[in-house]
Amino acid sequence: MNEFLLAATAMLAGFVPVGVVCLREGPIDALAALELAGALATTILLCLSEGFGRSFYFDVPVVCAALTWVSGLVFARFLGRHI
Amino acid sequence: MSALAVHVLLVVAVVAQLLSALGLAVMRTAADRLHYTSAAFTVGPFCVLAAVLLHTGMTTAGYDTIATVGLLFLAGPVVVHATARAGRRRELGDPRPRPEERVR
Repeated sequence: MNEFLLAATAMLAGFVPVGVVCLREGPIDALAALELAGALATTILLCLSEGFGRSFYFDVPVVCAALTWVSGLVFARFLGRHI
Repeated sequence: MSALAVHVLLVVAVVAQLLSALGLAVMRTAADRLHYTSAAFTVGPFCVLAAVLLHTGMTTAGYDTIATVGLLFLAGPVVVHATARAGRRRELGDPRPRPEERVR
């Protein structure tokens, strides 16, 4: 296990407080937590891609970053106006 | 020297991301929590970017990492601003500043 895989494993602990906020707080607080979870997941995927040493794995964090952007905007739009 | 720098950058990235997650849980209001969301979009990913570039150099992996972190860096402020506006709209019905909030 190299240093990038160790870093990815350590960062997984960040999902615990984020999940607690998602489950216990209101919709906007949960959306803030969801966006942080997206950034955290992207960073973890970057570390995993480098840790496994395969260049084509790096496509996954690119897609995750783009989807974090789009999903955050969609949720913000619907939570602000319709839900 | 380069290996030591990679280790330090990864430790900083892990600490930054974990502190952001903990700060999000500790804060009480959505506006306070959004500051920690912004931090998670910038500090940790840039440290990982620097670590990857030091580790592999300008390869395909390096370019993909630059694209990923660039996307996160651009997306962060946009998404956080949209979320703050949505919260204000839910709370007050209108995201624009009230007369008593205007800066003179």
